[in-house]
Amino acid sequence: MKKLRSVIRVGLKSNFGLAVLRHRIFKEKKDRWLVPLIGVAFLGLAPTLYGYLALMKTFYRGLLPLGQQHLILTFGILAGQIFVLIFGLYYVMSAFYFSKDLDILIPLPLNPFQVMFSKFAVILVNEYLTIAFFVLPVLVYYGILSKAGLPYWLDALVIYLMLPVIPLAIVSLLVIGMMRAVNLSRKKDALIIVGSLVLIMLGMGLQYVSRRTVSASPDPQAMLRFLTNPDGLVQRFGSAFPPSIWASKALAGGFSARGFTNLFLFIGVSLLIFCGILVISEKLFYRGLIGIGEVSGKKKAISKEGISRKLSSGRRPIGAIFAREWRIMTRTPIFLLNGVLVVVIVPMIFVIMAETGSGRGDNAFLLRIMTSAKPIYVILAAACFLTFCSCLNGTSSSTFSREGGQFWMSKVIPVTPKEQVIAKFLHSYFIALLGIVVASGVAIFVIHLKAVVFAGAFLISLTAAVALTVVGMIIDLARPLLDWTNPQKAIKQNLNVLLSMLADIGILTVLGFFSIFLIKRGIGGGGLFAALLGILILLSYASFHFLLKFANKRYVEIEV
Amino acid sequence: MIELRHVSKSYNKGKVKAVDDLDLVIQPGEIFGFLGPNGAGKTTTIKLIVGLLKPDSGAVTINGLDNQKEALRCKAMTTYVPDYPAVYERLTGLEYLNFIGDVYGVAKKDRIERIEKWLEIFDLSQAVSSPIQSYSHGMRQKIVLMAALLPAPRVMVWDEPMVGLDPRASFHLKEIMREHCDQGKTLFFSTHIMEVAEKLCDRIGIINKGKLIACGSMDELKKLNHEQQESLENIFLELTEK
Repeated sequence: MKKLRSVIRVGLKSNFGLAVLRHRIFKEKKDRWLVPLIGVAFLGLAPTLYGYLALMKTFYRGLLPLGQQHLILTFGILAGQIFVLIFGLYYVMSAFYFSKDLDILIPLPLNPFQVMFSKFAVILVNEYLTIAFFVLPVLVYYGILSKAGLPYWLDALVIYLMLPVIPLAIVSLLVIGMMRAVNLSRKKDALIIVGSLVLIMLGMGLQYVSRRTVSASPDPQAMLRFLTNPDGLVQRFGSAFPPSIWASKALAGGFSARGFTNLFLFIGVSLLIFCGILVISEKLFYRGLIGIGEVSGKKKAISKEGISRKLSSGRRPIGAIFAREWRIMTRTPIFLLNGVLVVVIVPMIFVIMAETGSGRGDNAFLLRIMTSAKPIYVILAAACFLTFCSCLNGTSSSTFSREGGQFWMSKVIPVTPKEQVIAKFLHSYFIALLGIVVASGVAIFVIHLKAVVFAGAFLISLTAAVALTVVGMIIDLARPLLDWTNPQKAIKQNLNVLLSMLADIGILTVLGFFSIFLIKRGIGGGGLFAALLGILILLSYASFHFLLKFANKRYVEIEV
Repeated sequence: MIELRHVSKSYNKGKVKAVDDLDLVIQPGEIFGFLGPNGAGKTTTIKLIVGLLKPDSGAVTINGLDNQKEALRCKAMTTYVPDYPAVYERLTGLEYLNFIGDVYGVAKKDRIERIEKWLEIFDLSQAVSSPIQSYSHGMRQKIVLMAALLPAPRVMVWDEPMVGLDPRASFHLKEIMREHCDQGKTLFFSTHIMEVAEKLCDRIGIINKGKLIACGSMDELKKLNHEQQESLENIFLELTEK
């Protein structure tokens, strides 16, 4: 037990680096500017939070007469658990199999389950932070709206702490099984990518099936049952992931027999499944882990002709750096999954939501709205969608951080910071473009956008992507995270990626308000389009110009 | 030629002086060995020379050019080998060498000729098409050394280049070092292997606590020593024990 406690403590300390952050902020006084910046970033989220709370209030009032107001809790908890189920994969895989400290932990006299437990704890804390954005407002606001007493708040605390356990344990089981199989092969990296995609698809497929079942129109009698039974709607929507039903009932029930039964059911199943994982990990964890980092070379001497063929006849430095960025990104599974594949997966999630969440009838409804509304509104909405899909990946905002311990090379090679940054921009923008293209496919084939509308949206998103890519790069250049040992830290756990996403949302929100302002002033569709495009071009130009100047300064300042 | 004029560098807002008023000139054609205990300031000095660190005061010039003001021109004639071979693991050895060839602008003919030669010398032909990730520490060191030799630089700054190399590779490397400097190139390298420094270097500098405490040829160092020690190891131990 003592060993377990100590390995968990070390794991948490080294992953969250509070000591390092404290040292940087209070001793070295380096990252002080981050504190107000994060404060401002969170303030920027205030309008979104306000909208979220207003929506909840409306739902709450609508459901109150039916006595089914706790459906809101089901939605919040379900969203959190599904999120962990789909995206927990990245965390689990990199923490269990790709953190460099495993090389230190494996030779220690620890049982595999103890090592896994410590990694699980790290991911759990990560998940608390991640799901806080959308689960905490639900729990807190529901408590306020329902004027809940102490039992609710205690239950809410326990449920929040236990919430990621079941989905994370399921993901861990799948990943441990997958990695055991992957480790038997020589093509480990390729299998990891394929396996992860299969798991993500499986998760989304399950979602698709369960949501279709839920959204299929029930007969009127069944509908009546859902509405009259106090837990009818909770059961119906929560069926996608039953633990969310138990958690909602436990919260709604408080300290009653019903509340306790469901709370114990939720906690009991969570603990049971977690213990199951520990038992399995004792047998399978190390078998999948030991040797996963080994790469076997071809061990075949290359001929003189082979060398001559493979050596380029002199690429320009920008081309060489672009090729390097591309190769490293696509050959590092964590980078590939978080950078390139995210831009493919995010639009797919929209497809599933469009196909199931609203049902086919609603799709037709959406289409009607889209075609009846003023074209400029549709262009703006579609542009926002394309931009969102292209820029919500961490490629640009981790472009310097991803170099990690190899940044020394970028400092010693005889290539100007300007050229290096241009190559990095082209690489990040290329991936953003990939996102725009995939999202365009969704816009054309699922939402059936008109050609002219699509062209307008495409043009705006192409320009917006330049500005947002550059903003991400500026943020990463300001404070690159170079001392990572686990590639996950460079992209998934990099604060720059979060800051950049907040900045992107902030910029898009400001542009949204600006559009509303212009519309209220009576500006026409064409005028608004031109104004937005003009602003985006200016913003892109100015930010790119700043990035190049900033790079000249930062490449000298960053010491490695 | 490498020239350091009153170079100082400190960490933690001046609390730790890593390099203290260092004055040093390394002439073309010279192999200069840089010795010192752990934490004496060797790696910091090397990083200052190649521009990885910026001096707090003083200046570093490479063939007469200030390495801060004329950074790009200095970089174009200098190559660096770090104390740990941290290179792009996901690239193959050949892709990495090709990248270096591209950024230093090495002509294709020269690239092929040099790479073929060193692949044979360092016995890397079988591994060069595999990802660097699959290399042992010594193989990584060899690929970093090959990359440092590929542009045929006028100035080479290497931090413990022998670490991890097998005896054969070490032997060949020493020959290559001598050969390059005989062509008028400058080599500045740090090492903990006294024998290598003693036999290979034209001049040796010993740094301790950020200060250069001795500098000169082997004969000059022997004269500096009060107890008339014969071996470099003994001279080093005596000079650095205070």
